[in-house]
Amino acid sequence: MGVVFLRARAVTLLGGRQIRLPLISFRTSRLTLYKPRTLIFVKFRVASQSVKMTESSASKLLNGEACQRALRAKNAGKNGFVKNHCVFEHPRKYRRPAEKNQNATSNSSLYKKPFSESFEETPLLVAVLTYMGYGILTIFGYFRDFLRHWNIEKCHIAHEREQQKDFVPLYQDFENFYTRNLYMRIRDNWNRPICSVPGAKVDLVERVTHNYNWTFEHTGKVVKDVINMGSYNYLGFAENTGACAGAAIETTHTYGVGVASTRCEIGNLDIHEELEQLVARFLGVESSMAFGMGFATNSMNIPALTGKVRNLIPFLFLFCFRFLSVEEFWNSACYSLKEKQLFLQRIIYKKKKGCLILSDELNHASLVLGARLSGSTIRVFKHNNMQSLEKLLRDAIAHGQPRTHRPWKKILIVVEGIYSMEGSIVRLPEVVALKKRYKAYLYLDEAHSIGALGPNGRGVVDYFGLDPKDVDIMMGTFTKSFGAAGGYIGGRKELIDYLRCHSHSALYATSMSPPVAQQIISSMKIIMGEDGSTLGADRLRQLSENTTYFRRKLREMGFIIYGNDDSPVVPLMLYMPAKIGAFGREMLKRNIGTVVVGFPATPIIESRARFCVSAAHTREMLDTALEAISEVGDLLQLKYSRRGRPLSSLGWSSEESLLQD
Amino acid sequence: MPLGDCWKHLSWFYYQYLLVTALYMLEPWERTVFNSLLISVLGMAVYTGYVFMPQHIMAILHYFEVVQ
Repeated sequence: MGVVFLRARAVTLLGGRQIRLPLISFRTSRLTLYKPRTLIFVKFRVASQSVKMTESSASKLLNGEACQRALRAKNAGKNGFVKNHCVFEHPRKYRRPAEKNQNATSNSSLYKKPFSESFEETPLLVAVLTYMGYGILTIFGYFRDFLRHWNIEKCHIAHEREQQKDFVPLYQDFENFYTRNLYMRIRDNWNRPICSVPGAKVDLVERVTHNYNWTFEHTGKVVKDVINMGSYNYLGFAENTGACAGAAIETTHTYGVGVASTRCEIGNLDIHEELEQLVARFLGVESSMAFGMGFATNSMNIPALTGKVRNLIPFLFLFCFRFLSVEEFWNSACYSLKEKQLFLQRIIYKKKKGCLILSDELNHASLVLGARLSGSTIRVFKHNNMQSLEKLLRDAIAHGQPRTHRPWKKILIVVEGIYSMEGSIVRLPEVVALKKRYKAYLYLDEAHSIGALGPNGRGVVDYFGLDPKDVDIMMGTFTKSFGAAGGYIGGRKELIDYLRCHSHSALYATSMSPPVAQQIISSMKIIMGEDGSTLGADRLRQLSENTTYFRRKLREMGFIIYGNDDSPVVPLMLYMPAKIGAFGREMLKRNIGTVVVGFPATPIIESRARFCVSAAHTREMLDTALEAISEVGDLLQLKYSRRGRPLSSLGWSSEESLLQD
Repeated sequence: MPLGDCWKHLSWFYYQYLLVTALYMLEPWERTVFNSLLISVLGMAVYTGYVFMPQHIMAILHYFEVVQ
């Protein structure tokens, strides 16, 4: 009887397309799972008719059979390439770019304001010297490992005891080579303990090391009022005074701090419901759901959306209702062996659902982890490169799944709003155009861009002036602009209702703490302007002014800065490994706290210092910081840019020429 | 005073050398090891050049028939 309840049911999901989620599917209903996708070649630049083809005839076309349209295509004889009808054409002539400047040229109709990003190429001499530096460090690393192995030097890292030397090794010595020999030497730039609220200025605990960063000791002193250029405090809501903090204190008095349960059990507070309705209103979507941790939002919800999900509720239902154990079920006489096999196949060993994830090259670790956990096929396109994405989409639709060539059940494009290591903004209008044409779904991770971009602070969708309903799944975090912790997912009501039941984070993770939820509610109301003051609008304006000023000044000084001109994340290139440590330490000497990043978060030669501009920074603080950065840049010779600075190197002769005019 | 200036310049150049070769990150005894290796290799190169340069120059001039 339990089986009757568990028939395949169609769930309308994500825009009205019927997707069948078989909890149990029998042989007959299998045929309905695979609807042949129709391939639509729409006329764009080539004068040809739009043709609807089924999958089999499309594969014939690709195999080079005579067809009117195929003859017009240049590479009809090649297997496996679908060309010449792309929305975004490759540039006709191949030019070696002196810098990879990605101004939108042919697609300017999609953008309301100029999209200017730049990633200046690494100077050749700098690259060679960087490799040389890493080579020297590697040689010394091997030398030190040799000394440690032969016990000439005391070994500080984890290693097995003498008695266990002949056992299977517990610690992979070589994998930690980089950590042991390169990271440890400049480790004092990271994990610095903070002892005040991380606002525009922060207090650091002073620490010294007597054995070259293997151990630290606190001296007991505190370095006060360090200008904080590293916290993701874009709108300045990380503060311990003010309306948000007051409301959070009130909420702590009402609810306490811990929730002691998950959302599905008894941890669903009314403040969570209020928060979710507010977030949905803020984003302009139908419904939203909030989670306690931003990383877990991505890694636990992408598996729920694509790929295999162990649907535990019917599993538990069946086994609690009828059977006490798998052995009993297996030995029961009421089902034939074949039925039992099918049942187990469907329930316990859920087959791959045939979903495809197209993710950007530089996506965050949480997105990569979520995609890998989901078990679906992952294909990676070049960073922010719409031609690459389109090619992948066309290949996926034309060829289908790898061996069977069946059409993909779902294609999910995963992008981020602002990429925090590059400072680049996603080309959202183009992605949305592609998604609509090729009928894929879009997952937008607005961890850094929500609250920081756009005239109303509603993120990258607001920045480009698009409709929030175009993005199927809008995900974001509350850590950065709202001064709290946690993440959210917003979208259609059916999607969010589905996630409430099927997300691992909702089932197993503790729900958000009440004062944190209240902080988000108050800060979001301030940004929307619903608290009656202009504080939100002031902060948004201050942030964009600070960003423009800071970036312009750094560019003028001659540093290589990556990314879009409007993004508050400013990566400054350092390249050489010794300069990573030197930059961090010199800036701290001048009372400015910065975050420096090296391998493996960035490519090996492209290490950088990442500044996060905040609305809480005043113009004076930024000027102090800029002066210090310039000084350190001269000391360390970091001004690599070769773009021709305006008048800065001419000095007095330029002034004279101006006067003469 | 020029000597102080000179010392500052040299000190700045040495700092740049440390940064570029990543010796900045190494412990003092490692720097000593690397510097002594480098100086010994360079010293040997200079000495070899000093000893053999006249012969090489005479050979080149002989090849180009400038000198018999």
